[in-house]
Amino acid sequence: MTRGLLWKVILILVVLVGFAAATIPTQDNPEPIRRGLDLKGGTHLVMRVNVGDAVRLETDQASEMLKAQAKKTNLPIPVTRRVNDTTFVATLPADTPVTPYETIAKDFLGSFDTGRTPEGLMQFKMKTASQTAIERDTVAHTVETIDNRVNALGVTEPYIAPESGYRIVIQLPGVDDPARVKDIIKTTAQLQFRLVEGNPGSDAAAALASVPDNMKTEVDVMPGTKEDALGRAAGIEYYAVRKTVPVTGTDLKNARVQKGQLGQPNVGFSLTPDGARKFGDLTGANVHRRLAIVLDNKVVSAPVINSQITDSGVIEGSFTAQQAADLSLVLRSGSLPASLTTLEERTVGPSLGRDSIRQGILASIIGFIALVLSVLLYYKGAGINAVLALLLNLVILLGMMAIFHATLTLPGIAGIILTLGMAIDSNVLVFERIREELRDGKTVRAAIENGFSRAFGTIIDTHMTTIISALFLFQFGTGPIKGFAVTLLIGLFASVFTAFFVSRVIFDVMYKAQDRPTEISI
Amino acid sequence: MQIFVNSKYDFVRWRFMAVSFSVLFMLVGLAMFFKHGINWGIDFAGGATITLKFRDAVPMDRLRADLADASIQQYGKAEDRAILIRLPELKQETDYAGQVVAKLIKDLNPESATKLDLNFQGRDGLSELLYSLDPDAKGTLPTSKDYYRNVAQNVINKRSEVGIFTSISQATSAPGVTTAVARVLNEKCFLGAFNVLNQETVGPQVGAELQQKAIWAVVLSTLAMGAYLWIRFDLMFGASAIVCIVHDVLMSLAFLMIINGEFSLNIVAALLLIVGFSINDTVVMYDRVRENRRKLKTRMTLEEQLNLAMNQTLSRTILTSGSVVVVLVALILFGGKVIHEFAWILLIGVLAGTYSTVTIVPAVAIAWNHLTGRTHDLSGPAARSRVEARVETVPPPPQQRKRRVG
Repeated sequence: MTRGLLWKVILILVVLVGFAAATIPTQDNPEPIRRGLDLKGGTHLVMRVNVGDAVRLETDQASEMLKAQAKKTNLPIPVTRRVNDTTFVATLPADTPVTPYETIAKDFLGSFDTGRTPEGLMQFKMKTASQTAIERDTVAHTVETIDNRVNALGVTEPYIAPESGYRIVIQLPGVDDPARVKDIIKTTAQLQFRLVEGNPGSDAAAALASVPDNMKTEVDVMPGTKEDALGRAAGIEYYAVRKTVPVTGTDLKNARVQKGQLGQPNVGFSLTPDGARKFGDLTGANVHRRLAIVLDNKVVSAPVINSQITDSGVIEGSFTAQQAADLSLVLRSGSLPASLTTLEERTVGPSLGRDSIRQGILASIIGFIALVLSVLLYYKGAGINAVLALLLNLVILLGMMAIFHATLTLPGIAGIILTLGMAIDSNVLVFERIREELRDGKTVRAAIENGFSRAFGTIIDTHMTTIISALFLFQFGTGPIKGFAVTLLIGLFASVFTAFFVSRVIFDVMYKAQDRPTEISI
Repeated sequence: MQIFVNSKYDFVRWRFMAVSFSVLFMLVGLAMFFKHGINWGIDFAGGATITLKFRDAVPMDRLRADLADASIQQYGKAEDRAILIRLPELKQETDYAGQVVAKLIKDLNPESATKLDLNFQGRDGLSELLYSLDPDAKGTLPTSKDYYRNVAQNVINKRSEVGIFTSISQATSAPGVTTAVARVLNEKCFLGAFNVLNQETVGPQVGAELQQKAIWAVVLSTLAMGAYLWIRFDLMFGASAIVCIVHDVLMSLAFLMIINGEFSLNIVAALLLIVGFSINDTVVMYDRVRENRRKLKTRMTLEEQLNLAMNQTLSRTILTSGSVVVVLVALILFGGKVIHEFAWILLIGVLAGTYSTVTIVPAVAIAWNHLTGRTHDLSGPAARSRVEARVETVPPPPQQRKRRVG
């Protein structure tokens, strides 16, 4: 063996050992090649963040700000009306000068452009830059909140990322109860503490009728769960609650499941220092009145305030153990700034994943054995060479997948098989060439030499065309298909390496040792 | 072993017959298209699919009554007691499959209001129930939570193994389940009628986008392939390669139409692969034509060049296609339901690719050659020198001569 050849053999062995080592599971890395959702089970979700919610809220707050500042400076309070998500108009009492309101707008409503409607009303329209900023922040905040919730659920290796069009892609491998996880992700969890006016009623009209006339425009009517004496759910009743929201979920410091006097689960919470001050003011001024705990526009419970409460409290409701746990989780992780709409969901249960991988692997092994047998039968000695190259190709492919954290999907298994087909093709091209050269009367060494050099261009071309289609597959594909494209691309590069370098070295080792080889098994 | 040594098949002669066959096959596909339309899967049409595995016999009548507009069919073998429910497209974006599953749970599992469904709930639901009841008296320490989570995980793993619990004793036989825990499972849990194997929802917006993306991907990759071959070879080969790819894709699509298969994302992936893979035979053949042109000493018509190259590469073509076909057949036979159609389309594409290389490609190339005044017949040093001699007699433009002199 010449020195150059020895180095080549060493290089191949290093590559073999290196990539093989990457695929061996270790303590820190029990799953070196990650399985995709279709093999492992899990959920793939695409959700749209309804950023309009957050923009609308900003517009509403701006109109409240205008009124509050007018009240502060003793100006007549305008009547405001929201025209769309970004615009509201203010009607001033007759004969009121506009200038002081414009000053308020300049000082406090910096993100709005002021103007006049054709009817002469003051119009406030959100600046495009501000709207874009709100939308961007809303998506970012939503991703962060979902991330918190998913982590609190203990999902391993979740993938949560924003996409264009206010979308969020969420991949949760190994989740065995997708319905619950989806509920937790989608819960807006906007918690509010609002005073109740009047008495609860069996329908919305009854609840509103019990409210004093001067307060009727200052309340929202919301449904809530009616409870019997034992705290169990017994139908729906309605509450009229004040529009002003003195304390919200953002004032919460922590929330956890507690057990009530009867052993029923409920959710205890503690407040931030600022929240505690606000909550103390609210409860201190309203002892013996009902305080509604509102979650996502539903009244969870409406206890009577017995005495001033400052830093902590309890949300009681007819919860199951799981509902209480889920509520405390979403309260801890913060509320979503906007609601979510499901655009796409793909969930694979763990038992289907198990079946798929079993069948996929079985089929691959059978296919691989059939491939090896036919090559050995057809090329005899050289067939061993092809099979060695094929095995090395497989090791490189799996090793690369482990190193690049590529995900193995079901179509990906098909990708591996197709790659092996390509690798075999390269060998076939070379071997057929060598046979032709031998038929033309060339010596063994010259035949090998010419076989490899003549097949080179062809092999590059066949690989290039498949690489082009794999790139399109990658660009276009989602989820499992993308995994397939990656597998295919890696495999194609490995195939070029094994066909030109490894097969060549194996031939050289087999025949160069002889001074003048006269026979070749091909 | 060797096959096709020094074969001398006259492939070119069969081209009209082959073109007629392909056209006929595509026409059958087209007729099926007009009869059934495209069977768009939910990836493109939007809608939802749900695969359920039942504990007992599938309550088909009940399901049909519950889900009036759905198509319900058996999934896998009858003894698997699994069904596939397909729900038609909705006009608005919602969690469609989730809502339907919730409805089925309400109808088929009335106990679910008060008890925990061991065939539906996951690890966390069960571990929270156990933690709150604390049958093994572990207290409220964090280690207690881990203890019950571990027990719950074992029960759920057992379920994944058997597919669905048919008796509660299967659940209580999971490792780590103590007598006290088993009592909780018996009293506070029940076995729901079904387990969700798979559920998918694709909203109308995503469906429309995927449809558009899929069409672009196939069209652009075909054009990219043609452009690559135009650069590497010449315009005639680039054009006939595009025709060849379009042929292979259409043949696969016609096959899909004939079996009335579902057009899903996986099928698009298969088509893209066909675009990349079936062209390989053609590339190998072109390469041979080009190489022969450099070596040949006599004048040869394009027909003769193509026949020679096809015969020279025949054994490679058969061997490579054969080995891929062997693997694909293994996938079809043993790969399971999920990749079944995918493997079938690939198989048809690979077969069509091999066949089109020796029939459709020569047909297009020869037609092109006729249309362009048989410029591709010239070949070999003799022919080339004749061309060069003719070029020599044309006087070069004056500036060029000047530069050459300078």
